[in-house]
Amino acid sequence: MIPIPKGLGMAAQWLLVPLTALVLSGTAAAQCDLCTNEDPQQILFQLIDQVDSDYLTQSDQNIQMMPRNPAYFVAETGKDLFHEKRGPNNASLAQCDFGLGPGVVEGAYAKMPRYFEDTGRVMDLESRLVHCMKTIQGFAADAEAIQDRGELRQLLTYIGSQSNGYKWAPSMDHPMEKAMRDAGEVMFYRRAGKMDFSCNSCHGQTGKRIRASVLPNMNVPQEWTKAVSWPAHRVGKHSERSSYQRIRGCYWQMRKGKIKPRSDAAIAMKAFWKDAARGQPAILPDLKR
Amino acid sequence: MATITTPRACLAALAAGLLVTAGQAWAGSDEDAGKVDRSQYTEMSPKELAEHLIFEREGFAIHDKTQEGGTVADRLRQDKLQETCSGVDAGDMDKATAKQVKRMARNSLEYPDGGIELGDWQEGQKVAENAFGYRIGHKVDDHSQREPGGLCINCHTLEADKAHRSGTVGPNLVDYGDQRGRTEAMIKYTYEVVYNVHTAFPCAQMPRLGANGILTKEQISDVLAYLLDPESPVNKE
Repeated sequence: MIPIPKGLGMAAQWLLVPLTALVLSGTAAAQCDLCTNEDPQQILFQLIDQVDSDYLTQSDQNIQMMPRNPAYFVAETGKDLFHEKRGPNNASLAQCDFGLGPGVVEGAYAKMPRYFEDTGRVMDLESRLVHCMKTIQGFAADAEAIQDRGELRQLLTYIGSQSNGYKWAPSMDHPMEKAMRDAGEVMFYRRAGKMDFSCNSCHGQTGKRIRASVLPNMNVPQEWTKAVSWPAHRVGKHSERSSYQRIRGCYWQMRKGKIKPRSDAAIAMKAFWKDAARGQPAILPDLKR
Repeated sequence: MATITTPRACLAALAAGLLVTAGQAWAGSDEDAGKVDRSQYTEMSPKELAEHLIFEREGFAIHDKTQEGGTVADRLRQDKLQETCSGVDAGDMDKATAKQVKRMARNSLEYPDGGIELGDWQEGQKVAENAFGYRIGHKVDDHSQREPGGLCINCHTLEADKAHRSGTVGPNLVDYGDQRGRTEAMIKYTYEVVYNVHTAFPCAQMPRLGANGILTKEQISDVLAYLLDPESPVNKE
């Protein structure tokens, strides 16, 4: 059950009801062979029980806010957008194949990035979504719907949230999937730039901080699943952010220039990310500092 | 080919140029079936593929200009030390490699004319607590607005009463001078570690603040004062 804090007025409690219903309907329908039926907060509590982690426990306030994550509203908007007939072809995304068949979104994100026969390419959720927006809905590459990260974020938050509780299991069946994952690993450890940093500079140890922020360790899957659980609401940014924006932010901090969205470099990095969290439940949508 | 002569035409050309630039930021990052041959990906080693994705496939905005006057491609290209320290197993480095890295680091050392002196600890504190500079991409640090710093506090705790907002990736340096003393040898050693950490700690994660041109020799002298001066808050626990 989702805890409703005592001390809230009746009006506030009523406001929470639709949210509660949304969370429950999102998980109750799941046929959970590979997932839990827990909400994001419960998943996090279970991880905290398993490992001693300053990263997972760094903010009581954020943990308490998880059942009332503003990202649930964004996911709802994204769901409407997903089913809305849009673009030059006046089509919805209901026929988009995220790897589990046309229109299947439940659990699909947890298995991405993966190889798609129709494009001959390993694709992450964002690149697959944009591919469908172009091929099914007929949007041009420079269309507002694709260039505007706000709308993309709504769609990503909806589709991503449909993998809450699913264990990360990026496909490694195709040689191209393995090749991309391995290239992502090289990129993770690849030191370069003015500051000589690599991802491993910050994400190779447990319980370390940059200033006041506790960093997740790539080598501890229970920490890493939270680290890669995007889209998430960033409290400090007052908005939802995608995995691309996390990677872009890290490269910015490393002083290594801008990684391009949906580039094979970004997809390789995500393939390595998700593989490092393999077997751990996704926390979606997450709420982060 | 028309020659641009009027200011208005110049503005139009400039605007067109900006549009092209904005378009390029997204181009090459969104390729689908048929347009790109990826069949060679599985023939490459992981390292070859990573380099291919970064440079040939332009997974990064490699043509963007950097504050130091180069491009992002220059930033992303590795020098010998970076390449040596990038191994997946850098943690259990063999002695020969450690020695080689230390030698590379020693070759980079440059000292101030007239010897190493302790500068102004208050200036050093500013440098240590300034994490601005050299960031580039969706936002760009403008060095004409603010001087770049040394980023020290991001990873090191230097003053005890700032511990809650100081990083812990690197060793705790509270009481640095009081604990280690202020001999000439200690001052020289500290200068060298700040200038190029790999002289003492091969393949440590710290930036080569002097050798990479992030801090000037004068700024390093100020940081030395911040670490070693008895009056510095580093030594006033």
